[in-house]
Order: sequence, then C-alpha cells, then structure tokens
Amino acid sequence: MIRIAAVGDLHYGEGSQGILRPGLEHLPDRADLLLLAGDLTRRGKPEEVQILADELRGVPIPMIAVLGNHDYHAGREAEVRRVLEGAGVRVLEGEGTIVDVDGVRVAIAGTKGFGGGFRGAHGSDFGEPEMKAFVGHTKKVSDRLEQALTGLDAADLRIALLHYSPIEGTLEGERLEIYPFLGSYLMAEAVDNAGADLVLHGHAHHGTEKGRTAAGIPVRNVAQPLIRHAYNVYTLNGRHDVLPAAAGGIS
Amino acid sequence: MSERPDYLPEHIREKLFHDPRVAEQDLKVDVKENRVLVGGNVSSLQLRHTITEVAQELLPGYEIVNETTVVPTTEPDDAEPVS
Repeated sequence: MIRIAAVGDLHYGEGSQGILRPGLEHLPDRADLLLLAGDLTRRGKPEEVQILADELRGVPIPMIAVLGNHDYHAGREAEVRRVLEGAGVRVLEGEGTIVDVDGVRVAIAGTKGFGGGFRGAHGSDFGEPEMKAFVGHTKKVSDRLEQALTGLDAADLRIALLHYSPIEGTLEGERLEIYPFLGSYLMAEAVDNAGADLVLHGHAHHGTEKGRTAAGIPVRNVAQPLIRHAYNVYTLNGRHDVLPAAAGGIS
Repeated sequence: MSERPDYLPEHIREKLFHDPRVAEQDLKVDVKENRVLVGGNVSSLQLRHTITEVAQELLPGYEIVNETTVVPTTEPDDAEPVS
C-alpha cells in the first residue's frame, strides 16, 4: 500500500512562517510521498516560496510539486522552482518522474494545467489572438500531460498532479460563472486516454474534495482552504497493470 | 475609484487582491451604508489583521467588519483508501 500525502494552495507570503511546519511533524510516519498541487505562494515571489522551502527542507520523504497560477504572477517562476528544488522538492511541468517506494514504482506526471471550461461549455481557440492563446495553452499542457502519463506506463502506480481541475465534480460549491477559469475537461480527457490511478488538483478553494473522470479515475481536490488540514492522505494499492478505472475496483 | 455604490464592493475586492500586503483572491466584500464587511478564508492571523488595515486605508470613513476565517493546518485524521 502506498500512502500519498497531498495539499495545494498554501499561498505562502509575508507572515506565513510556521503555518505548515507543526502539521508536518508526523508526516514521515503517515505518508510515503508528499505532493504539492500548486499556488504555493501569493504573488509568485522567490522570497515567498523561500519561507515554505525552509519549512519543507529536511522532510525525509520524496516531495513533488507543480506550480499554480499565483506562482507565475511575478514572472519569476523559474526562480520559484529553483528555491523549491533547493529544498529537495522536485517540480514538474509537462513531465513525469518515478519514485521507488519499497520496490513499488510510483509515477507522477505533473502540470499546472489551465482553464477553458467543461464538456458542452468549453472555449474554442477561435477569434481574437487572446482567445486562441488561452485555449491553445490548455491544449498544449493537456497534450503534454497525456504524453507524460503515457511515458510512465511501466510504473506500478500513476498519479496526475495538477493545479487546475480536470472535472466539474470537484468544483461543486464554486460559482458556475468562474468554472472556465477553474479548469478544463481537456486534462480529464488526457488522463482517461493515458490511464492513471489518481488525479490530484487544487485551485478550487470552495469546491468539493472528491470526484472522478468520465472513465472513473478518482480525482481529489486538495486545495488547503477546502481540506482544512496540513495535507490529506490517500492510500493506493500498487499493481502492475493500470486498469480502466471503471473496471478497476476504485472506490 | 468609482463612487457608484453598486460597484464599490468589487473595486475594494480587486484592490485588496492586488495589494501586495494582502494578495488574497478569495475575499468577499460587501458594503452596507458606512460598513464594509470582508469575508472569506485566510491563511494566517497576521493576514487577517492586515486585511483590516488595508481595507481601512482604502475606505477611511467606513467601519471595517472583518469576518474572515483563518484556515486550520492541523494534521488530518485518517487516510482515505482510494484503491
């Protein structure tokens, strides 16, 4: 059994010192991996993420992150990434990594993702350049997610780590008007095409924790203001064949 | 800033979000006569205090009612078996 700890939307900034650290005290006894689902800062400043990095440094389990929209705000996302990596956090964007947990190969494919909306109400890359750029970005990152997951199909478990939501189900509680800014079905389609055991995301602070893709793959919204804990833990049984979720006995 | 009361709450919400001392997108702002009600989740007590200060700077003649909640970061109770 593999234990995945996950949280997103920590929004570290001035005055955040010590917010997470007490909650991490027993993390190594409770989880095999810590996954961070983006929006680790308020305004994407390296000095903001440094506060978080100082709290994460030395946590003795593998830590893997994606960035969120807030982490891009200052245009210094490369520096944000370097600060996290300096504290031992692997940062993914359109790529994957494999972690060996007691002989079980756990693969994580990560991307920030982006918005656009959901089936029947998704924007098109049509019209103004701004609209083409918006939807085009979502298509690009979703394609990369699918490629990353597909490239990891030899692993025993595969997890998609996102910031934006791939489904409407974990947005319930948010205002419908902002759904297109909270996620896109293109990421769910990518996950369903490639296969995965679990999808994690943040971004939707007022959403719902649990949902699933059209193919039945479990999705968990781990936005910290929603889960109201330092992290949540999900357990997965390692297996060598990634079954379509609908037939895979996923609860 | 627009003086039309219909748009005032949204202008305050935007200014709080873009103020580097706050930078919190999740706030809800309502204005009733000379009272400004600010709600939503915040990550620290310090940020909660800062929101009151910044809102007061934005609207000096108003009473600021800070109804924000500091989100707990305690350890979770149990793990969820997903598969």
